[in-house]
Parts: sequence; C-alpha cells; structure tokens
Amino acid sequence: MLVLTRKLGESIAIDDHIKIRVVQIKGKQVRLGIEAPKDTKIHREEVYVAIQEQNQQSASVPADKTRSVAKLLKP
Amino acid sequence: MIISTSRFGQVELKQEDVLTFPEGLLGFGDLRKFALLDDPNDEIFAWLQSCEAPQIAFPVLEPELFAPQYKATLTKSDMEALKLAAQEKARYFSIVTIPDDPTQMTANLKAPVVVNVEARTARQCVLQDNNLAIREPIFTKLQQRVVQNPAVAIKNQSSGIDVATKLNIVKEAGL
Repeated sequence: MLVLTRKLGESIAIDDHIKIRVVQIKGKQVRLGIEAPKDTKIHREEVYVAIQEQNQQSASVPADKTRSVAKLLKP
Repeated sequence: MIISTSRFGQVELKQEDVLTFPEGLLGFGDLRKFALLDDPNDEIFAWLQSCEAPQIAFPVLEPELFAPQYKATLTKSDMEALKLAAQEKARYFSIVTIPDDPTQMTANLKAPVVVNVEARTARQCVLQDNNLAIREPIFTKLQQRVVQNPAVAIKNQSSGIDVATKLNIVKEAGL
C-alpha cells in the first residue's frame, strides 16, 4: 500500500482523471473531496461490506423456506 | 450437464442455461458459474444457484415486483463487463434475504444482479444511487401484489422469469 502525507487543502492525483483533496480536518475526522469522471464508482467501503453480508445471509436460506412464503403472503 | 445442489439434489442443465459471472459475486469471488432456476414448487422466487458450490444459492426476485419505479443506471464499465450493447437489454434480479421471521425479509436494490441474456453473462452491479437500499423491506409490498392479483403466482407477474431454467431435478436431495 502506498502511504502519503497530505496537509489541509492538498490533493492526490490518481491516474490522469481522479483527484482527491483533503477538504477539512476536525478531530478524528477527515473530509475528502473527490473529483472523478462521471462513470467512476465511489462508495464508502461499508457499502461493499454490507452487500457481502447481505449475500452471505441470503445464501443460507433453505428451499422450503421460500416455498412457504407464498402461504404467508395470502391474507 | 448435471450439477449437484444441496437444496434440489441433482439438477440437469443445458450448456446455455449457465450464466458466467466474470468477477463472481461480492463475498463469493471464487464462484463464476451460476444458473437461474425456476422451482415449480415455489410461487414467488427464482434461485441463483452456483454450479460449483452445491450449498450456495440465492433466492432472487425481479425488482419490478415490489419497486415499480425501479431504475438502475449502469456505468460504462458495468456495460463492458457484461458485454452489453444497450442498457435496455439487461434483466435485473434482486438478491433476497429471508430471516427466521419472513415478514422481515428484504431485497437488495443497491446491488442487483444484472444479466445479459444473449451473452449469458452476469454481474452484481453496485449502483451509485444513494437512495437505493441494500435491505429494502418487501413483505408488505409483495402482499399488496398478491391482493391485487390473487389468481396469478407472483413470479408469473414479472417479465423476466423466462431467463430462468425450469428446475429439472434428476435426483432429490436427501430430505
């Protein structure tokens, strides 16, 4: 992993089109501004972790459980 | 070809029933081959079954069944990975989680499984739209669907179930 030190207002350039700037530092929080082409996906890492967890939980459902849901849905 | 599944026993598939996930699914990166199975004993869900790991299968639903306004915007890299020429040609499926209490079940709208039906390629696309939930509650919405049209099984009210392969069980799982 490449580790860089930046001051408030300074940036990092990734490839030719992505720029990440330190916008604010407050206590233990850093606010980052990200400039990237419209097509670049930018997510907090938690999003990927939450999707992985959702997938894991989904994969543990037995077949008879889904078959029985239809009966529950009928009022 | 015949694949083993922990839920349905031995299942017979044609080569063209297999969907290739070039990058796997999030958390299941090693699994690249899946089949979408239509279980005749299930009125609601289709199953995205791994061809490589018998115990891995996800119940899926088309988002239009509980989110009629659902609109996914794919990026250029999504389209390239899917070998997709036009976004309209894609089919979308939401992975569903069913906890012990099924009234609490949820669907993942943020990261649908997108299928290029012609190329038989698929990908779990993480969408940029921040309003889409990873755990969208769907029980009440599906119930409304049942009330509106009680005679037709939910999955037959969607447009994409034809992507799925009718479950052809060779040998039942040891139940």
